[in-house]
Amino acid sequence: MALNRDKVGTVYPSYRYEVSREKIREYAIALGEDDPRYVSDGDDCVAPPTFAAAFTITKGGASVLGDPELGAHPALVHGSQRYTYGERPLKPGDLLTCTPRVAAISARGSNEFLTIEVDCRFGDDTLAVRSEATIVFLGSAPAATEEGSS
Amino acid sequence: MIERMEVGAELPTLTARSTLTTSVLYAGASGDMNPLHFDPEVAAGISPTGGVIAHGMYSMGLASRLLTAAAGGPERVLELEVRFTRPWPLGTTATFTGRITAVEDGVATVSLAGIGEQGERILRGTGRIRA
Repeated sequence: MALNRDKVGTVYPSYRYEVSREKIREYAIALGEDDPRYVSDGDDCVAPPTFAAAFTITKGGASVLGDPELGAHPALVHGSQRYTYGERPLKPGDLLTCTPRVAAISARGSNEFLTIEVDCRFGDDTLAVRSEATIVFLGSAPAATEEGSS
Repeated sequence: MIERMEVGAELPTLTARSTLTTSVLYAGASGDMNPLHFDPEVAAGISPTGGVIAHGMYSMGLASRLLTAAAGGPERVLELEVRFTRPWPLGTTATFTGRITAVEDGVATVSLAGIGEQGERILRGTGRIRA
């Protein structure tokens, strides 16, 4: 079944994410990072750029992919990812408000491409980070579906 | 930090091996528990290679290490965009490279690549950092 193009532009309920020192530390260690600020106990602690993955990929995609009207299916891969950053890196104690949205749906060959944007704001409503994840759904493009059903 | 932020400058490369350990650590740290990245039985059924592959976001994280090292910290990274072009099988190494392709208005654009053991491109992307 093809993805429902009427869902482009749909905004899903915001969720909150609280940045913690220990999660930053875990994430930095998993990447083998060597900047001591990522594992600092002091006020200089900041998060590496792709730390945003910890709250924008699985958590950010859940409400979108779980929408029964979207028509998502399990034959998918993460095709591409973009992060656009605000004025400063994340730090422990930041309480973010994250809003997922279906930014685009397109097809190429037999595959479909769903772009999920998650806009994450600091407490003062300035941009913390914006995530754009493009998920490739294999084999469900409308032309392929028609071929399959004819 | 990279000494000369000018067009054509190559960033220091980074070579890493993806293993079950790196994959489990990244799953826990990122919250992405897709068993494709650590369970051979599950991977046999759904993986594009038939085997366990690294998280795409793990490779993006390694590419981002090049950027932060060149820029002088995460506060100088403005944007990072990558495409996951080939799977990265566990137990293999990949080398991440970066080259400055433009410097304009205090912002350097970096072209990024991740190359697997067989010379295949697992990732390509673009970063923008403060010059």
